[in-house]
Amino acid sequence: MFDSFLIREDSLENVYDENGKAVGFKFAVRIADYRGAFLSLHNGYYIECDGVEYPRELQKFEVNGKPPRTFEEIKKCVWEHWDFDDEAYVYVEKEGGLEPGKHRIGLQQSVLSQYGYMPWDEDWVKNPPVPGQGAGAGKTRRICYYDLELI
Amino acid sequence: MTIKRGVSFYSYQQEQFFRRMNWKDMMRELHDNLHCDGVEIINEATIPNYPFPSQEFIYDWRNELAKYNLKAVTKDIYLDVHQFRDHVMNYREAAERLMYDIKIAADMGFENVRCLCMVPIEVIEMALDTAVKYNVRIGKEIHAPYPIKYDPSREGGRMVAEIIDFVDRTGTKHVGLVPDMGIFQIAPSRVNVEYQLRNMDDLKLRDFIEKNMNEMDGKELAAAIDKEFPDMDSMQKRFLGMFTRGPAAQPEDILEIIPYIISIHGKFYEMTEIPGKPGQYEDVSIDYENVIKYLKQGGYNGYINSEYEGQRSQQDRGIENLADEVEEVRRHHEMLARLIGE
Repeated sequence: MFDSFLIREDSLENVYDENGKAVGFKFAVRIADYRGAFLSLHNGYYIECDGVEYPRELQKFEVNGKPPRTFEEIKKCVWEHWDFDDEAYVYVEKEGGLEPGKHRIGLQQSVLSQYGYMPWDEDWVKNPPVPGQGAGAGKTRRICYYDLELI
Repeated sequence: MTIKRGVSFYSYQQEQFFRRMNWKDMMRELHDNLHCDGVEIINEATIPNYPFPSQEFIYDWRNELAKYNLKAVTKDIYLDVHQFRDHVMNYREAAERLMYDIKIAADMGFENVRCLCMVPIEVIEMALDTAVKYNVRIGKEIHAPYPIKYDPSREGGRMVAEIIDFVDRTGTKHVGLVPDMGIFQIAPSRVNVEYQLRNMDDLKLRDFIEKNMNEMDGKELAAAIDKEFPDMDSMQKRFLGMFTRGPAAQPEDILEIIPYIISIHGKFYEMTEIPGKPGQYEDVSIDYENVIKYLKQGGYNGYINSEYEGQRSQQDRGIENLADEVEEVRRHHEMLARLIGE
């Protein structure tokens, strides 16, 4: 669901450190689920940009007016909620950031929402699915592609 | 007494996503245009800052219901067993979540909560005292592929019998069933088929299906594909299930559960004009006509709440190709009112 709309079209920009050096990029996302989710269930993204994959360890997530958090921190937010209506930002670490111009981003969101007990539950506690495989991908199971312009 | 009409705000999820309608706009649509009074919500989607709604929100919600003389029928609640991430939620924890959701429902004036097919009966039993105390009924959803008739050989084929046994054994008036009209789906919906075909990686398979889907029935098509494409992956097999699955229940099965029904999810995918009947609509993939006939025959006088889901299969293209949720629900209510005989 919302396949074409999970990333806001005009939201791609570089991220700079305190010295003005580009250290990555960020873009605005929405949740691929009709109900939102407890934040702890958000398990990161499969992200590729121009054919290069950026694993969860290089990602941070900014939501609910708080500074960007790693997905290890997000995992502990068991009573915080990402509301269906709310936009969030995904930060991706990349030295030098992205060049101005067009970029093609592939995205699959991992949210471990469920409708009750499943056979793989214990395994997911120990080994949460790696985003991109479809498991835990919620309501949008394919990798969706977005052509975005960085100005 | 007759069948009553309502809407699950799930139907307007796309309007909410694009921030064109909020829950107050939805209530106004029910009152002004649909002329119905039943409200159903997805708890997390409508309640800001769930699971900690503010007093201000609760008051605002109840005030808006009063303004339009609407009835809070059913609140749909969930069971995310991975919420705590360091362990799988146990049954006692799941019951705490259920009891808490019941209290929120009572605060918001809801008569019922809908819990999911896969919530264990033990969890419902642990929450029963709370349901009684707050006078909120717990309705377990019958969602496809779960059947109504007892059939232990099928997925979920014991669930309905389990709830009926529980109600009969305890005599409780606070537990029942929420059938989803998707169990009466007789054919795949055009919008779902087209979504799957648009997004199929295997172009040869896609062409084969497009060429044959109108000439063959579901079983023939599946067999032909199996023969032609022996190395299909699991995603593609899931897609084929759409053709071969058949309805989870027969319309007359509903007669067996009428006293246990708490409310009904009026699931639908696409309302099209009935040929030769301008202004009258149907969803050709779901047998509403016969189900409503049996509901009337059995004396059902609760709510059918529209649950429009076809928008989700049309969001993979541009903004110009999105479905019109408001219009779809209006058409659904034309059909409901006509079949109910208002």
